Amino acid sequence: MPLASQDTTQASELFAANRAVGAVTFETILSGGTTRRGRVHEAGSLRVRFPSPETDGLSAVLVNTAGGIAGGDRFTVTIDANAATAVTLTTAAAEKVYRSHGPAAEVGVSLSVQTGARLAWLPQETILFDRARLSRRIDIDLHDDASLLLAEIVVFGRAAMAETMRDGVYRDRWRLRRDGRLIFAETVQLEGDIGVKLAHPAIGGGTVAVATVLIAPADQSVADRVHELAATFAGEVGISAWNGFALARFCAKDAADLRGDVMRLLAQVNASALPRLWLT
Amino acid sequence: MTTPMITVTPTSIVMGRSKGPSLPLPLPGSQSDTGSDAASSIHHAALYRLMTWLSPSFPVGAFSWSSGIEWAVEAGDVSDAKMLESWLTAMLAEGPGFCDGIFLCHAWRAGAAADDAALIEVAELAAAFTPTRERHLETTAQGRAFADIAGTTWNCDTLEQLKRIWTGPIAYPVAVGTVAAGHSVPLDLSLHAFLHAQAANWISAGVRLVPLGQTDSQRVMAALEPVVTSTAQRALDASLDQLGSATFRADLASMHHETQYTRLFRS
Repeated sequence: MPLASQDTTQASELFAANRAVGAVTFETILSGGTTRRGRVHEAGSLRVRFPSPETDGLSAVLVNTAGGIAGGDRFTVTIDANAATAVTLTTAAAEKVYRSHGPAAEVGVSLSVQTGARLAWLPQETILFDRARLSRRIDIDLHDDASLLLAEIVVFGRAAMAETMRDGVYRDRWRLRRDGRLIFAETVQLEGDIGVKLAHPAIGGGTVAVATVLIAPADQSVADRVHELAATFAGEVGISAWNGFALARFCAKDAADLRGDVMRLLAQVNASALPRLWLT
Repeated sequence: MTTPMITVTPTSIVMGRSKGPSLPLPLPGSQSDTGSDAASSIHHAALYRLMTWLSPSFPVGAFSWSSGIEWAVEAGDVSDAKMLESWLTAMLAEGPGFCDGIFLCHAWRAGAAADDAALIEVAELAAAFTPTRERHLETTAQGRAFADIAGTTWNCDTLEQLKRIWTGPIAYPVAVGTVAAGHSVPLDLSLHAFLHAQAANWISAGVRLVPLGQTDSQRVMAALEPVVTSTAQRALDASLDQLGSATFRADLASMHHETQYTRLFRS
């Protein structure tokens, strides 16, 4: 039936035309001892803003003018932190991923941190609406003694509306390299009846939000400092250090509790880490 | 000196590596065998070797690792046979079982094809694909032990290839997959045997820690058979891009185990 097939083609073309594409690429450069923005490229609905210079490196704020992420959207962020620069990146608001019946939204993040540079990737929460479909990749290349602080929070369902995420796709593929050698890799994969899975004791135990923090370089002393906070955490928090980095995991039955736990941990490992936007 | 592969005749051992498995295969020393006798000889050899390598008595120290189950018992997440079965179902289907299965498959295929680049890729990824220090130690200590012991007693070309091209830590499923390929033990059998051994070892840890009786232990083993079967099937079909795990709280258990006050297990 040619008519039906034509309709389908038109519908999918229309769908594709309505999907947002956004890309931000920038580099940091050292100028007179201060980190400044170098070349910046923006495309589509993604923007980056650099608020007034702060003493401890460059602040960058990502703004998604599309107001959220829908199925089929494609966003990429590429940051090159040149030697001895310092940059902290966050987002202007929590990122909402809307329900989708079609393809997954794809988000790609590439972070390259050169010798002596420090990069903090601290976006606000990603909120997955029920039936959202998100596939994300984060690739990080550290060179020599470069350092990284990365936190990602994912909330399953709009907690404020008492919505839980029952179904959907959440894939999050992380690869961390130092001097070209892969030192950490993981892919979080929750598909299908996510609500049931998150209730499982070995998976979420009823959690509504999870977070992961990566700290590099880090050794056992960083894990020990976090252990000192054990009594102050509202949700479940664990940390482990090996291969020259540390990884912390968070689960909580309340999204605000989890955000508080992440903030406590970040403050403990790096007092100047928290972007001001997190505090408002 | 390499141990005869199931695939190879004495002549081809002298001649060097065979180009991977090519069933039906003569058993070493029975090159004139044909028909069902030969086929069953191959099955017997495959079974014999898998049961040897993945037996609790193969000295990789499997008994000393619990993958965080020791903490899960301490915290009350696992306190009876049903809870153990549930915890291990997720560990197999949604966690390290599924991922290790994929690593074993890719190591086996890379070994069988003598594909250096593919073998390095899976070796590097598997060694990095651990969520905690103790789980990293668990897979790399057993992988190293397996490679060392197999190198002495069950050596094969693919294992020598792996040691030649990869000097980093060797994850356990990569070591097992590589050796199984070198002996032309069929992939699906190797994968099932590996996941069976993993499940049995976790149950053994749970039985000692909860503690549970031997009958309960076997009930859990029986209940996990379909989980092992379906997990193995998914792993067989999966590319390295389809790796994925969701067992956040099992990861947390492994992290908490690092500071557990009284410990019987190393993970």
